[in-house]
Order: sequence, then C-alpha cells, then structure tokens
Amino acid sequence: MPDEKTMNLPPGVCYPWEEKKKEYAALLGDETIVKKVWEDIDQLAYIYIWFCLISS
Amino acid sequence: MSEAMEKLYQERLKRYVTAMRNEKPDRIPIRPFAAEFVAKYAGYTCQQVTHDIELAFAAVRKCAADFDWDAVVGNMVYVWTGFVDAVGLNYYLKPGIEASPDTPFQYIEPEDEPNAYMRENEYDALIADPTGFLADVWMPRVSNDVRAPGAPNSYRNNLSWLKGGMALMHYFSQFGVQNARLRAESGTVGAIAGCLKAPFDILADKLRGYRPLCMDLFSRPEKVKAACEALAPHMMFNALAGADPEKNVPISLWMHRGCAPFISPKQFETYYWPTLKQIILEIWKRGHQTLFYAEGNWDTHLNYIAELPERSIIYHVDRGDIFEAHKQLGRKFCISGGIPNELLTFGTPDEVRAYCKKVIDGVARDGGYIMDTAAIMQDDPQIENVKAMTDFTREYGVY
Repeated sequence: MPDEKTMNLPPGVCYPWEEKKKEYAALLGDETIVKKVWEDIDQLAYIYIWFCLISS
Repeated sequence: MSEAMEKLYQERLKRYVTAMRNEKPDRIPIRPFAAEFVAKYAGYTCQQVTHDIELAFAAVRKCAADFDWDAVVGNMVYVWTGFVDAVGLNYYLKPGIEASPDTPFQYIEPEDEPNAYMRENEYDALIADPTGFLADVWMPRVSNDVRAPGAPNSYRNNLSWLKGGMALMHYFSQFGVQNARLRAESGTVGAIAGCLKAPFDILADKLRGYRPLCMDLFSRPEKVKAACEALAPHMMFNALAGADPEKNVPISLWMHRGCAPFISPKQFETYYWPTLKQIILEIWKRGHQTLFYAEGNWDTHLNYIAELPERSIIYHVDRGDIFEAHKQLGRKFCISGGIPNELLTFGTPDEVRAYCKKVIDGVARDGGYIMDTAAIMQDDPQIENVKAMTDFTREYGVY
C-alpha cells in the first residue's frame, strides 16, 4: 500500500492509476478500459474537492 | 424548441460573441450578472434562491424572459447553501439559518492566524500536494462533518463526502438543463462556462485569509510565491474542465485581492500576476477567452492586463474608470460593465439612462462593449432601474 501522505498528485488526479494497478493480483482482460474508467471517475472526485475550494 | 426561438438564440449568440471578439454586432449585448436580484424580481426570498436551486433557476428564467436579456448566468447565486449544509461547510452565514431569510449569504473569511483555514506552517504541505492537502487538512477544518485521516471515522464523515458528491453531480446536470431551457424558452445565451481564480486569491480568500496572507508577504514571501506556483496548474485544469466545448462563451475569472488597496503594485507584479498570466495565456492557446471580472478598482494594473494577447480576454469594469480602461485596453479587448450598482439602487430611471448613454457614447461606438452593472446584482437594485438600463440599451445601443 503506497504511503498516501507522500503522493504528489498532478491536476485531475486523486489516486493515481499506477498505484491502483498494484492492488490487482492480475488484470486478465483489457487494462485500458479499467484504467480509463478509473481515471474518469477519479477526476470527478478531484473536481469535487476543488469545486469546494474554488466555487463553494 | 420553436424555430423562432432558436433563431432568436442564434441572433443573441452571434451578438454576444461578436462583441466579445471586440467587433461590432448589430447592437450592444445586454448580459447582466443577476444574483439575488432575480429573487427580488420573481418574488422569492434570498433564502429560497440560495437554498433551493430549482427556485433559483426558475427566477433566472423569469428574468431572462421578462427583461429579454441576451445572455445570463444560469444561476448567479454562486453558493448553493443546500450543498453547504450537506457537506457541513462552516464558513457561511446562510440566509434563513444563521442570517435573516432576506440577507444574501455571507462568507466568513479567516481574520487572523488561529482561525486561518490553512495555518502559517502548512505552506510546504500545500505546495507538496495541493489536492491531498485540501482533502486531508482543509476539508476537515472547514467542514463540521469531515474527519481528517487518523481521526476516528464517523457516519457523518462518510455522508458528507457521499452527499456532497451526489449533490454536485445533480447540480452540474441541472445546470445543463437550465441552459437548455433558457435557450428553448427565451432564446437566452448562457453567459459563461468554467470558473477560474488567481492562485493568490485562493490563498487570500479560502486558505490563509487576507490579513494572515498580508503578514506572509513579509514573513515568508518565498512560500507565497511557491504556493501560487503549486496552485496554478490546478486552477487551470479546473477552469478548462468547465469550459465551453464550442469555445463561444468565456471562462469567468473572479478577481478579488490583487487590486489597490489590498496589495501594492509591486506585490501584484511579484505574486498575483505571473501565475495568473501564465494560466490566461495557456487558456487562450486552447481557444478560450477569459472574462476578467475585475472586482474593485484595477486601474493601476491596466498596463499588465494590456500585455495579454488581443481578444484573449473580456475586461469587466467594477469600480475602475471605464473610460480609462477603454483607452488603455479597448483596442485589444472587449469591455463590459461600468454601470454603478449604487446608481441602480439609489438613482432614478432618468439618471440610469443618462449614465448608460455616457458609457455607450464613451466606450461602445466601435463595438466591443457589453452592457452590465459594475458588480453582481444582489437584492439592492430597483427593478425599474434595471428595466431602464435594459430598455435604454436596447434602443440606444443599435449600431
């Protein structure tokens, strides 16, 4: 499990795919679809956090 | 949607976009930023439009239709206190709750160090990981429900994140519905898309507070600079995330504490401008204009704003001198606003018409001007004065 305190997250990211991928024992199918959906939903969470700061 | 209404929408869109590109449309677009004013007009209280977005949206649609404005913001009461309540945010006095139902919402800015939402020794943590800092430190501090990592979890913590996220998704989806209804029902254009603030303003407004930040400018200036640089890519990302995919309407930039008397020109040059300019240039490179909603008087900084590429921004005048702004910026940028809110509150319709004429004659003859009040219309302006501003511009502002 990565040390969450040391993650330097770029814009649009709450939990990087590279870290999430390490949690899978295996990825038996299409990795790109798993990555894309993870990142799409992760970005929604990012936008939520920053919306609270910028607009609320 | 009727053909006639779509035709009207396209006329308005062309008018609005033409002016924003600093050209001459058929007549001056009318684009008031009407916040709690819509409540006053539609017969709602501030509480009703601030807490219930459906009422806010309905009030905006009524104003757009009755006043026949060219462009409006779908909901200019930018704080949804229903959302604030769901998340447990503790920095607002909410109308109908901590404030009277007829008072617009009030933001509680940190006044001093003990109350700062980001402490003076937390710059490094913010700089190292802005998103992580917001989630783990800032949110627990500004929400009564959110718990920091390591603290005992709670049902309310889980609900805060869940409800906040669900509420925001609902709000974003309803904004899309609102823009579609404005288009279909009154041919009105949604005026802006995407929201930007200068990194310095984020520090001043929501993290340190203005007064603690002023102390930081002397006691840890390198940290303030580094914090602005760390925040900048996130500000840009978020602005572009909400931007108009058609690149017609601008991203809105809300400019707060960079003007006199809040900071000196030298401080503006060193801390406020560099990262903001970088963001604006990148946004423009991607084809989006930015509406510089320059709240207060930014006249001392017009020379910096003049550095920006032609047509990259629309410059909105609040307390500054619109004639000076036009002189320094009008060749490159569309200008909007400049009609004093106090005139619409305390003046007469004749005085409003006379002032609108003065502004139109002074800055709008060659196009590149959008009619609007100087500041967002809360519940102060008299309805008859807003009508006078609108009707006069429609008649006198024909090219």
